[in-house]
Amino acid sequence: MIFWEIAKRNIRLHFLRSTLAMLGIVIGVVAIASMGILGNSLVATVSDSLSSVGDSVIVYPYTGGGGGFGGGGSGSTENMKITDQQFQQIKRVVAPGVTIPVHSTSERMKVGVGGDDLVASIYGVDPQYLKDLNFELSAGSLNNANSGCLVGSAFAEDNNIRVGSRISMGTDGSKGALRVTGIIKERGMSFDISTDNAVIATQDWFENTYNTGKYYDEVVVKVKSGQDTADVKTVIEKQLNKRDKIVSVMDSKATLAAIFETFGAVTTFVTAIGGISMVVAGVSIFNIMMMSVNERVKEIGIMRSIGTQKKEVMSMFVYEAAIIGVIGSVVGGILSLLAGYAISALMLQSTKYLFTVATAISVGEGVGFGIVVCLACGLYPAWQAANLNPIDALRHE
Amino acid sequence: MLFRDVSKVYPLPAGDVRALDGVSFRVDRGEFISVMGPSGSGKSTLLNLMGCLDTPTEGDIFISGSRIRDMSDMELTSLRRDRIGFIFQYFNLFPLLNIIENVTFPLMLKTGKGVDPERGRDVLRAVQLDEKLFTHTPTELSGGQQQRVAIARALINNPDILLCDEPTGNLDSKTGAGIMDLMTDLNRNGTTIIMVTHDSRIADYSRRTIRISDGRIVP
Repeated sequence: MIFWEIAKRNIRLHFLRSTLAMLGIVIGVVAIASMGILGNSLVATVSDSLSSVGDSVIVYPYTGGGGGFGGGGSGSTENMKITDQQFQQIKRVVAPGVTIPVHSTSERMKVGVGGDDLVASIYGVDPQYLKDLNFELSAGSLNNANSGCLVGSAFAEDNNIRVGSRISMGTDGSKGALRVTGIIKERGMSFDISTDNAVIATQDWFENTYNTGKYYDEVVVKVKSGQDTADVKTVIEKQLNKRDKIVSVMDSKATLAAIFETFGAVTTFVTAIGGISMVVAGVSIFNIMMMSVNERVKEIGIMRSIGTQKKEVMSMFVYEAAIIGVIGSVVGGILSLLAGYAISALMLQSTKYLFTVATAISVGEGVGFGIVVCLACGLYPAWQAANLNPIDALRHE
Repeated sequence: MLFRDVSKVYPLPAGDVRALDGVSFRVDRGEFISVMGPSGSGKSTLLNLMGCLDTPTEGDIFISGSRIRDMSDMELTSLRRDRIGFIFQYFNLFPLLNIIENVTFPLMLKTGKGVDPERGRDVLRAVQLDEKLFTHTPTELSGGQQQRVAIARALINNPDILLCDEPTGNLDSKTGAGIMDLMTDLNRNGTTIIMVTHDSRIADYSRRTIRISDGRIVP
């Protein structure tokens, strides 16, 4: 149609002005889309670094509140532990979920003969629960005997540990030695047991070595299908925190959701900051469209006098805004992939999450927003052009 | 076209201005009328009302029996497009369009289709424009050539009436005479022409003259 042609030719006639307006949109789309890509990559990176612990509820002794460290001022270690009686209560209320008592501490240790002194976390877990904890091994097996242990992948790599390696525990081996029976694959950040830089010994070995008795540092509950982690958390709290708060209960699923919600909010925030540049671009589009209308008042008067309807005059200016918007937004969309790549490479040291559906959605949103902003900013000038009085417009010089 | 007691008042801060005051006349099909009068006499207001660009404050205007006061903006615009051709003093061609596109512009508005080059060429040949100029832009043409293009544009939809506002006012006398000869030919072929002019030599081409002064028709 002729109005589309006129819009194209007017953009070509004012090439520099139109290009600058497009540049504004390009920058706006790049800012929005690349921030979206970065946010998505950030969430994907964090998601990948969290092990699949969405089925866990972790129970810790309650250490907060008035009594300071040790709670209530007794100062006894047992007050900061979960007793066997409490463990049995938990076990009873969460059935058929699996309840896993866990000991943990930090310990000096030495790998092999003449190795360096290290300090690492050490857990004591009954071997019968290892499968329930979903440990995947990169080497060896889960069947560790009383003096056997599993080690995390990062710990093994850093200290050149293989299956069969011997680790002396305590200063100068004062707490005996453990033989590595398996190496656990990288699990990333996890809520139950952080294995990557730890040693997993048996419960018996831990209790005998540290003389802890049946006092646990945490209890991990693995819920079964049909059970909801939030419900499990509630029943544990009801059962154990009747009068005083004895335990803290963490619902890993809810925690994960909160983490992702926070990252989502951060992504939205940075995208909104990118949106400011789009607003600036929109103002620029509005400005050049108003200039375009003011320059062509007489032309509009002629058009109207020879029979051009208001909506046809309006369409001519909307087409102009749409051409600037579509070209600027598409170019911005393409460039935002490059910008997203660069930002991800610089900030996350990884670009493996770039070519995902989430990235396509971010780019699509940026492009769509750019086009909508252009059209919205072109509407008022177009409306004004369409509603000029033909007689006044014809007199305009 | 029938004007019946038409008045036009422009409300201004300094007081109302009565540009036309009780004007009545009739234009029959095939007439060639010139409208003459001094500056500020109401000629342009009359032309705007005849061209349905404005509506009267009092009185009625009928075109082919239709009262323009009753028409919506969309209907008036369609009336201008289909039944009235406009010729301006300063040609008023569209600089972004070439000659064929300029001429066929009102036809595109009417049909909603693209350029009809054949129809454009036919009309341009009728106004005796050199064919070599058909694909040029308006700024590449002389004043007389541009006015021929403007006449062709006004004729493209076979209007009932041609409204001309000082059609030779921006042309030298020889070129102006050529344009007036063309308009005389068009009138002989049945086109109704109403022409506003200051120039009595140009008014002599018409068969009837309406003289206007202070918003009233002078008998």
